[in-house]
Amino acid sequence: MNVLVVEDEKGLSHEMEIFLNKQGYQCDVAFNGKSASEKVFINAYDFVLLDLGLPDMDGLEVLKEAKKAGKESAFIILTARGATDDKIKGLDLGADDYLAKPFSLPELQSRMQAIVRRKHGLKTNTMKIKDFDLDILNRMVRCGKKDINLTKKEFDLLHYMALHKNRVLTRNQLTEHIWGDILEDDYESNYIDVHVKNLRKKLSAFAPVDFIETVRGIGYRINI
Amino acid sequence: MKLQVKIALYNAFSKAIIIISMGLLLPAIVSKEAYNHTDERLMARQASALSMLKHHELDAIIHAQDCSFGDYNIFKEEFISISPVEKLTPEFGKIKIENVEMNMENEVVKHRVLSQGFIYDNQLYNLQIGEGLKTMEQFNISLRSFTIKVLIIVILLSIFIDLGFSRILMQPFNKIIKLKLKDVSHPTSFQFKSVKTSTTEFAYLDSSINEMMIKIKEAFEIEKEFISNVSHELLTPISILQNRIENIIADEHVREEVRLKMVESERTLIRLSKIIKTLLYISKIENEQYLKNESCSIKSIITDVVNEIEERLTEKNITLTQEWTEDFIHQASNASLLHTMFFNIINNAIKYNKPDGRIGIKGFKEDNHFVVTIEDTGVGINAADIEKIFDRFKRFQQEDGKSFGLGLPIVKTIANFLNIQREVKSEKGVSTTFILTFRNE
Repeated sequence: MNVLVVEDEKGLSHEMEIFLNKQGYQCDVAFNGKSASEKVFINAYDFVLLDLGLPDMDGLEVLKEAKKAGKESAFIILTARGATDDKIKGLDLGADDYLAKPFSLPELQSRMQAIVRRKHGLKTNTMKIKDFDLDILNRMVRCGKKDINLTKKEFDLLHYMALHKNRVLTRNQLTEHIWGDILEDDYESNYIDVHVKNLRKKLSAFAPVDFIETVRGIGYRINI
Repeated sequence: MKLQVKIALYNAFSKAIIIISMGLLLPAIVSKEAYNHTDERLMARQASALSMLKHHELDAIIHAQDCSFGDYNIFKEEFISISPVEKLTPEFGKIKIENVEMNMENEVVKHRVLSQGFIYDNQLYNLQIGEGLKTMEQFNISLRSFTIKVLIIVILLSIFIDLGFSRILMQPFNKIIKLKLKDVSHPTSFQFKSVKTSTTEFAYLDSSINEMMIKIKEAFEIEKEFISNVSHELLTPISILQNRIENIIADEHVREEVRLKMVESERTLIRLSKIIKTLLYISKIENEQYLKNESCSIKSIITDVVNEIEERLTEKNITLTQEWTEDFIHQASNASLLHTMFFNIINNAIKYNKPDGRIGIKGFKEDNHFVVTIEDTGVGINAADIEKIFDRFKRFQQEDGKSFGLGLPIVKTIANFLNIQREVKSEKGVSTTFILTFRNE
């Protein structure tokens, strides 16, 4: 899939490029609004990751022009401005999602995958992890024909790790995904460990769960 | 008391003093005038009587009646008498006018009497001409009662007229108070249109408030811009660092010890990012960048928070109970802010609770408002510290190294923004209760 990263901070666009290339995306970069507009017109990108604070114009203008021209690329707005107005305006103009900086790269990838599923109405709304089937639409986990009762957060955790299979996810990345943008007074908690412990316990009653690996000092990884 | 009522009352009071003093003086002045007129009449009659004597017109009467003569009309209002005098006194011949009570046919009648001695036919006489005072006194009494009635009517009329006038006069002032002060909760909702007035002072007041509000609005705009700039300038580099660290951690070729260090760096960075985000969040609420346009069910929001936080309860084996007499719909509110506020309070109740502890949430109506109480069986707070728990970066519990003391400042900011009254009661080592009072304006 082709992705255009529109970001004037070269450090940030570079890191996104490294990550997306590793995940198998074809990555292109634009550092300002003018070049972004040109690239969007010439190429058919699957994704445009759009920063709003561009040096020459407002990122929303790029989005507006592209939508006017009937471009079907999926737009994800990335901004550090954090103004709710921008978020509403962006989504109104036809953006597909919105991520506030700083965000974690796996979170960006999972949002992109969610858009792909939504846009293309993928029939495969199930994922297979060894003996377990994840029904993403109904948020259910089955082992054979048996339903496994997971809490919302346990399901989210398993789904997120499965999306990023074979990649180690830090506790912070998992926390950010599960608790989202809620501003609370804990910057570090062992809730993730508790969730993983409960998840292992519930799943292991049906089949072995050695595919969930604890990476010492870092986090967790699902190996498939 | 309203200014216009005060002005009307002061006016009425000063007028009442003037009118009452006039009312007291008027009968005395009228009475003096009446005496003067009577005296003049008496003098005229005296002159006429003496002139009759000179022309011997009274001879027949005097001689026929044994040298003395007296006559009065049937209502005893006027009389004249001429009587002989034996002795010559030093006062003889001088005109004397005085009030005399006269006995006339067994009836005492008060008269104004002019008396004067004269010599006629080598005989000393005393002439007395009198006029009754009864009519004059009755007129005085009537005048006094009439004056009192008129006074009361004048004072009442004056109060009503003054009230009406001061209301018209104060109209622009009241409008300024309402539009420019009372109705303004934030500079963004301020109306800069001038209030129409021909009173110089009111126009000055209006323009002064406008100028002041322009300055406040500018300050708010600057703060808004500052928040936006700080967000961008601080969060963008953090974003770069975070993504770089993530890529290093995910790189299998990097040595494990380096990756472990990177995880530590990521943790520090996340902490920094959370502090900045929280401070910006608080600033944005204080800068009124959130809307208050939703009707929120308090019970549903708390139930959502409890569901979201359920695993944390299970982990510490805490029992949470809810008792609601009814739900409450908070008008002109913001669901996301309410969610964050309750999340922080309930999360605190879990965090600082004892293992196997309890949390009780109650919602009930009290008078015309709705109260939510959240009580835990936690470590409690010292009475002296209760007021400080809402201060930024203050932590009163044991240093767990995992919180940065911004949870309750968020609660305070949201409660203030949404006009929710908050109170905390706590007993050290026993429990802490958060009491939140909701009102629909």
